[in-house]
Amino acid sequence: MSLGRTLALPARPGIGMSMSDRLRRFGAFAAKFAAKALAGLAVPVGLAAAWFFCARWNWIPEQILPSPDAVWQTLRETTADGSLQSATLVSLQRVLSGFAVGIVAGVGVGGALGASATLRGYIEPFFLAFNQIPHIAWMPVLMLLFGIGETLKIVLIAWAAFLPATLCTLQGVRDVPAGYRELGRVLMFDRRATFSTIILPCALPSIFTGLREGLANAWHALVAVELLASFEGLGYMMAYGRQLFQLELVMAAMAVIALIGLIFHTLLRWVELRLSRWHLEGAA
Amino acid sequence: MTAPARETAAHALDISHVSKRFLVSGRKMLALSGVDLHVDEGEFVSIVGASGCGKSTLLRLILGLDTDYEGEVRIDGVRVKTPGLDRAIVFQDHRLLPWLNVRSNIAVALRHSPLGKAEKAERVDAQMRLVGLERFSDAYPAQLSGGMAQRVAIARALVNRPRFLLLDEPLGALDALTRLRLQNELLRIVRQEGATAILVTHDVDEAVYLGDRVVVMRPDPGRVATVLSVSGPQTHDRSSPGFIGLRDQVLALLGVAYNGAELSLAREADAREAAPA
Repeated sequence: MSLGRTLALPARPGIGMSMSDRLRRFGAFAAKFAAKALAGLAVPVGLAAAWFFCARWNWIPEQILPSPDAVWQTLRETTADGSLQSATLVSLQRVLSGFAVGIVAGVGVGGALGASATLRGYIEPFFLAFNQIPHIAWMPVLMLLFGIGETLKIVLIAWAAFLPATLCTLQGVRDVPAGYRELGRVLMFDRRATFSTIILPCALPSIFTGLREGLANAWHALVAVELLASFEGLGYMMAYGRQLFQLELVMAAMAVIALIGLIFHTLLRWVELRLSRWHLEGAA
Repeated sequence: MTAPARETAAHALDISHVSKRFLVSGRKMLALSGVDLHVDEGEFVSIVGASGCGKSTLLRLILGLDTDYEGEVRIDGVRVKTPGLDRAIVFQDHRLLPWLNVRSNIAVALRHSPLGKAEKAERVDAQMRLVGLERFSDAYPAQLSGGMAQRVAIARALVNRPRFLLLDEPLGALDALTRLRLQNELLRIVRQEGATAILVTHDVDEAVYLGDRVVVMRPDPGRVATVLSVSGPQTHDRSSPGFIGLRDQVLALLGVAYNGAELSLAREADAREAAPA
């Protein structure tokens, strides 16, 4: 009489499969992955080819668009003498510490704002207005306050990461469906249980959107601040390359930033998917 | 004061002269007006009525989610002030937490139970067996059909062995076949657990089929029109004349009439209401 018996159980991959089945499955998976990778690579490879031919046939003067081999050469030279690594390390340290400060504060403030309508009433409009100001615009003010040392960089990067982290967390917490909160009340949840069982998991996707945006912002801020007020780091490397008209140096730094950004983005995405496995399984 | 209190304390649940107002776009609207209802231990009471007659509001008051009302909602003579684990509810939307699997969704209701870890796990297992979902314990809500999700919600509501099981149109969102099947299961489960059940529905068949009594409510403002007793051997036989007669009587009270006799019954009811106003 149980309804469960009339319905098929969800198929579990990997259980009770023969070896050839497994191989076929793996083959299908590999083909799918390859197709996805190919699609992802098509545009960059096309652009690289265009770049290569532009440089090869001097469509654009070499001083403006250095050739791919010049950039590659620069990457190798700067790696060999260690300057690329040390610049990357300095920048990475700045981004990570600024990002960490920014998102911890952002998730905290955003969570409080999301939870309290009163607090939101006071502060939200102010935040929305602040969000309209490009974070680089704060630089002159912050320079006067903090000088041009390490503090300035961390503060600016933290601020850049703070805003999206705050706003997205606010949204995620505020938009927890009233029905779930009501359920928490019926089940006599205390604050802690409500937070850990209902609010946090519900707001998590939104929080991660904020973290990813914050991370991108942190890199923007880093490059801006290093271009203007630094003697080391990837941004400085770019400023230096521009002044010496060594655009291959600028592009080498850009490549490193893009690569690290992609790695971070993927890492965050991976953590998010691990934390919200239900999303994936539910969609299956 | 003490005399009537003692008198009404004979019931497990007393709803006495309850009125509830809502502020709707600046104006006070009467959602419930002078509702009286007394429910005995182990009874299954169906509340049926058109949308907006305050059925769900009444459940919220019994749950203790809303204490801003006139009149009294009492359990064993004690006024309800907060939610409690003695009262559980099944909502129309199953309201399972999408990030928890079936087992955890049921276990979540035991978070503040004094039971030990092993006992809790045992209780959850028993509930999953009760609703026939033991093989789906690791599935997430999005992987379940509507009927299965609603059974999990029923299991979650019952895992604390509540004294009162409140059902807010629990089968309203399901397809007709699943609904019929789950009505039988609900009957079996509630009997097995010995809970006092209060079912809000707008399905008249369901109200008559499940209820020992059927409370008919009318809107504008929400009030109890009539309370009908369902008794006799034919009550769980949907095609018996007794069942059909009772169903048609409820339909007539709700203003849906099939023939002249019932229409006149509806008019009578309307006239009764109009008289004191």
